[in-house]
Amino acid sequence: MTIADIWSIMPLLILACGALTVLLLGAVAPGRYSTAIGVVTLVGAALWCLQHTPEAAVPTLGVALTPFARFFTALFSLTAAVVLLLSRDYNERRGIRGEEYPATVLFAVFGMGVLSASTNFLPLFLGLEGLTFAFYFLVAIDRERPESGEAGLKYLLMGAVAAAFTAFGIALIYAGTGALDVAPAMHALFREGKGNPLLLAGLGFLLAGVAFKISLVPAHLWTPDVYQGAPAPVVAFLSTASKGAAVVFLLLLLPAAGMGEALRIPLWGLSLLSMVVGNLAALLQKNLKRMLAYSAIAQMGYVTLALLSGDGGGYGAAAFYVVAYTAMNLAAFGAVASLTEGEEFGDMEDYRGLGFERPFQGGVLALAMFALAGIPPTAGFTGKFFIFAAALRRGEIVLAVIGILTAVVSVYYYLRVVVNLYMRPAEGEVVAARGTLPETVSLAAAAVVILVLGIFPGPLMEFVISLFR
Amino acid sequence: MLTTLPLLTILIFLPLAGALCLVPLWHREERVRRLALGAGLAELALTGWLALAAPGLPQVQGAPAGFFFWEDLPWIGRFGIRYTVGMDGISLLMALLTAFVTVIALAVSWNAVKERVALHYLLILVMASGIMGVFLSLDLFLFYLFWEVMLVPMFFLIGIWGHGRRIYSAVKFFLYTLAGSLLMLLAIIGVYLIHGTQAGSYTFALPALVHTQMAPRTAGWLFAAFLLAFAIKVPVFPLHTWLPDAHTDAPTAGSVILAGLLLKTGAYGIIRFGYPLFPAAAASFAPLLTVLAVTGIVYGSWVAYAQADMKRLVAYSSVGHMGFVALGIAAWTPVSLSGSVLQMVNHGVTTGALFALVGMLDERAETREIEAFGGLWGKVPLFSAFFLLFSMASAGLPGLNNFAGEFTVLAGSFRVFPLAVVLAFVGIILPLVYTIKLVQQLLFVTERRPLPMSDLSWREGGILALLAVTAIYLGVHPAPFLDLVKVPVGLLTGTH
Repeated sequence: MTIADIWSIMPLLILACGALTVLLLGAVAPGRYSTAIGVVTLVGAALWCLQHTPEAAVPTLGVALTPFARFFTALFSLTAAVVLLLSRDYNERRGIRGEEYPATVLFAVFGMGVLSASTNFLPLFLGLEGLTFAFYFLVAIDRERPESGEAGLKYLLMGAVAAAFTAFGIALIYAGTGALDVAPAMHALFREGKGNPLLLAGLGFLLAGVAFKISLVPAHLWTPDVYQGAPAPVVAFLSTASKGAAVVFLLLLLPAAGMGEALRIPLWGLSLLSMVVGNLAALLQKNLKRMLAYSAIAQMGYVTLALLSGDGGGYGAAAFYVVAYTAMNLAAFGAVASLTEGEEFGDMEDYRGLGFERPFQGGVLALAMFALAGIPPTAGFTGKFFIFAAALRRGEIVLAVIGILTAVVSVYYYLRVVVNLYMRPAEGEVVAARGTLPETVSLAAAAVVILVLGIFPGPLMEFVISLFR
Repeated sequence: MLTTLPLLTILIFLPLAGALCLVPLWHREERVRRLALGAGLAELALTGWLALAAPGLPQVQGAPAGFFFWEDLPWIGRFGIRYTVGMDGISLLMALLTAFVTVIALAVSWNAVKERVALHYLLILVMASGIMGVFLSLDLFLFYLFWEVMLVPMFFLIGIWGHGRRIYSAVKFFLYTLAGSLLMLLAIIGVYLIHGTQAGSYTFALPALVHTQMAPRTAGWLFAAFLLAFAIKVPVFPLHTWLPDAHTDAPTAGSVILAGLLLKTGAYGIIRFGYPLFPAAAASFAPLLTVLAVTGIVYGSWVAYAQADMKRLVAYSSVGHMGFVALGIAAWTPVSLSGSVLQMVNHGVTTGALFALVGMLDERAETREIEAFGGLWGKVPLFSAFFLLFSMASAGLPGLNNFAGEFTVLAGSFRVFPLAVVLAFVGIILPLVYTIKLVQQLLFVTERRPLPMSDLSWREGGILALLAVTAIYLGVHPAPFLDLVKVPVGLLTGTH
């Protein structure tokens, strides 16, 4: 390690130091400034990432803060900053206290940063597990409510299995190729190791582990329960940054591998199942967060469609969709969080009339629904457009047509939320909270991103495509 | 000066700007109404001015033949997506209709809407922007964007201010139209990729995509996707089932816009995009479209006769009238196509007027059952006179507007599909049957139930007089309108 190395991994160090500071501060001045310090740390890390520093690899650590890594670290940091802003008043209303909450959010982002910057399988795995570990904790953080603990346990059990799959997959790939660095290992795997059962098994285990993280069918079973049980801001974080990090995991591996049949067939199946099962199951849900869980499964099916159309420009489309999806889900779960007064609204019926009773939060929720449904002029439309353009260019016509048809189905359940918000009158006294300033700022930011990416997607699209050159 | 201002952009975004201006006035309903109507009238004045000025203008540089106005800016460079809007005779006529019907829709909501007034007017204005965009876009991506954007306000209009099963109808309307549109989106990307591979440069610009060479099979599939999206909107039988629900349950302004404008976007889409992009495939689909059009003409009128609800009756009559538009498009001759375009305007005016009239009855009597009324002729003479006029116009009485359009369509289509035209002539008679029944039951039978009826107010009389003058003018002297579409229709059918 040299001074230059330290300098180049500075964003990661900022995040780690910020997390420790927040924790230590709890001993000195409990209950104060922790959110503020967390937000400042995250924004600082994001700004550091976004400035133009020369690309630096640190071989001794197996990380390199490439433009790709810096972009995603900045994205995850900003997402976490919004989550912290959304959590502050929500946690106060719900009686969730302590410095461990913001500190864990920062640790999670640290894990995401390490993952995005990895050039070696070891930090890749450590980053993935580090962020997952933080989420075991965050999902169960609401100690007063049993459903939060139940969700935490489910996530932990399933996550542990997935971690074992991932680790075993990496081990098999190492055994077969003799390389732990990602680029040579993937090269050996796909250019030379065709048909080697050891390597194919390794790849299968690795994909299964990641499919759990992205919650692709059939590794999706934990998602609805965890989404329903965990606090809304945590779900906002889980469904955006954690999923985004898992997509980054694949974006690190797949372009190096090239899309062979060995990868295309499993991804094709995962994408198809996720789009069909996710969208159909979402139709049956009455609970809003549960519905959004199935919607997330379906949305990740579209991202997988982009990933397997990588040669047609799909990697850029997937990266774009990660950003768009982050804004949409932050808006949706952020609105749910900011409407929560005491207990969260579970049923979609509970949102009746809120479009008029709470115009801003209701409006953002409705915008998020239209965006997730892919209606222009929102980021959801441009994102889906790029995905389907890439899929058709790659020749995945069957999957694209199925994807479009399931998208029509999805519009129905997204509209149900809008129908409840605006077309059914509220009954009795409205108990929904009025948004506080941090919540309003966060929701407005998410809404602006949704609209700007829907109308002027060009600059971001140019940028993310440049990351894969 | 005409050529330096981005007039079309102003035309598209003026209603949207008006809508945004309503936000600070949210709870001052009287001001909201005035401001919204002012925005609508400004739009109408601008469109009218363009219509008067346009034919005298020189050909715009860089624009295809026949276009009076043309604006073109880069938008999403990597994908070759541009902000391209242009106006030829057909779009000009449609823009006029849009501005006109928007003003009518704003005016008929004056007393009918009492709750969430600002939102109601805001949605109408946003929709006007979307529809204007549909009629002026010449980049397929831009077109698609406007095409979907215009659905959202209508969904809210039906769902919030509608009657009966409003939520069911709103969702059905949205899903039905979206299902077609999304498949069209895939087809748009398909054309874009095929053209890009051939030409080496990717673009969504219509004038460039028109020259794409395609295998007949591929073209057939892609055209089918386009046709499905547009046929749902027209609506072509048997894809019309969303229409009676949406029309019946929508508030009056919603029905006026649905019938007057949204249905036209479907027909316009086939004329502007469907046929020119896939001429060969379109020709092979023409017999099918003809059969469906004639079926629609007869079926729509047949079912209309059986309706007890006036609004549903008018809704089904739309299916019949729009069948003529579809027939004229299927025949694709200069005369039939001019007739179709003219009939689009005519139908917008007459059906819009009929929905407005039914809305006025509903406001007074709070029922739309035909059986509930009777003897209106003696009670509310002014209303009855207008009702008779527009019913006759809808039934195709010579001298009124629908006759001019339908006759032109039939005359133009006869050479191509003689049998279909003969059958469609039957379809001219059927509307007479249900219209006479409607007029008789409503105006002349003795009063069945005492209903609170008052004759038209100044505002209502003004709206109807405006529509009546337009209907009579279009019926007696359609030549200026036909002249306007002559050049673009000639270019489209390859006879110019």
